[in-house]
Amino acid sequence: MRIRRPEPHTLAGAYALDALDGPDRARFERHAARCQECTREVTGLREATARLAAAAAVPPPAALKDALRAETARTRQLPPLTRPRPAAPRPSARRLGVRRLGMRRLALALGGAAAVAAVTVWVTASLVPPAGPPSASQEIAKVLTAPDAVKLTAQVRTGGTATIVMSHHDRMLVFAAAGLRRLPAAQHYELWLIEPGRDRAAGRLPAPSHGMTGCRGRPALRRPARPDRGTRRNPPTHHADDPRTDPLAPVPGGACSGRVGIPGHRQHLIGGPQRRAADQDRLRG
Amino acid sequence: MSPPRSPWSGARAGPDHADLAALLARVAVGDQAAFDAMYDRVAAPVFGTVRNVVRDPGLTEEVTQEVFVEVWRAASRFDARKGSPMAWVATIAHRRAVDRVRSEQPSADRDRRAASPMIAYDDVAETVEDNLDRERVRRCLGSLTDLQREAVTLAYYGGYTYRQVAGLLGVPAGTVSTRMRDGLIRLRDCLGAGR
Repeated sequence: MRIRRPEPHTLAGAYALDALDGPDRARFERHAARCQECTREVTGLREATARLAAAAAVPPPAALKDALRAETARTRQLPPLTRPRPAAPRPSARRLGVRRLGMRRLALALGGAAAVAAVTVWVTASLVPPAGPPSASQEIAKVLTAPDAVKLTAQVRTGGTATIVMSHHDRMLVFAAAGLRRLPAAQHYELWLIEPGRDRAAGRLPAPSHGMTGCRGRPALRRPARPDRGTRRNPPTHHADDPRTDPLAPVPGGACSGRVGIPGHRQHLIGGPQRRAADQDRLRG
Repeated sequence: MSPPRSPWSGARAGPDHADLAALLARVAVGDQAAFDAMYDRVAAPVFGTVRNVVRDPGLTEEVTQEVFVEVWRAASRFDARKGSPMAWVATIAHRRAVDRVRSEQPSADRDRRAASPMIAYDDVAETVEDNLDRERVRRCLGSLTDLQREAVTLAYYGGYTYRQVAGLLGVPAGTVSTRMRDGLIRLRDCLGAGR
């Protein structure tokens, strides 16, 4: 069936963007009611527009939530649709399915947490101007857009937040921080990957209070088989790879070159105080 | 076994579909606490999206409130087979914002004509450091052709119809609808947002 107007199927994008006005929208919906492929496509495209919404996030005024509570209290809810659909799973089964999915995600998140607990941020001072490694923008983009990307956030002890996005599949992670305490001009934040016997610098933040760095953290992304005894007994400050004595080789893969500064003071910024072994233990979960 | 006390918390990057779906299922049976928790998770994307389209602060709050009352009313109609909970909520929010603006066309048109095609994209780019979601979206928008990106952002962030976008860009409407579609497909693939 041919229509002189744009082929309805090509309007799937405009429909998902709510860029069809009344008559166009109605026409597309009539078409989509008979076109499973269109419906499937719109569903997929709406996942993309939802990300556009997430990117536009702005916190609403707090008063809105209270006003809403009063509003929902006097608003009757719609009952579920009960169209008979023999082949479809029943509502209760749907919920079970959702819950099962939830458990899988949770396991993934815990696995991620266990692996990333071994990431620590140190402050080091450097006489080297913070030129940093060559742009790893491509690598960063790859991790940020990886389908299996896991995002973890933590409060930084001295202020600010740290975020890690990592992909187990690509064995890479991106570290980003915002709102960190500002440092004197000669100092910068440096990211360290802490693991048994091989603590190593994993790049530094480009700006004194925020920034993003990526690195290929093959060992750090491996799920630890058991608690990290070696490092627990051997706090990172006493480690053989101490940047004060031992220039670090670039990490294989090159995304994060372990550029070594001359440390002024070093501080354990995320997680328990490093002198308390119990906390370290938990940290490595 | 005590739960590991890691300073890190988080989950799969992007909106956590399973948790939100579970919350919506409880909202559907009138659970106010679940509604509050759901609100905390999606209020900022909803409010930001509505604000982008309607612009007026008072109207933004009004439409945002309508969106959440609708989510409360219709929570039982959410169907995980038809997309993620975030997409469901964002669709309600965007649709309602756009419909509101179009019903008040004459004045809104005037106000919004001032918005240059790149504003929405620049807004996204500006806050890169604060928000990884933004960063992912910004990078992916950057991978579209100029026409794809302008068509998508003018429609989504500006609330324009594809015919209006065609007028703004001086491009045939058929071309705009095609670019919207292949731009969104590319965006979806880049964001790993498809299923």
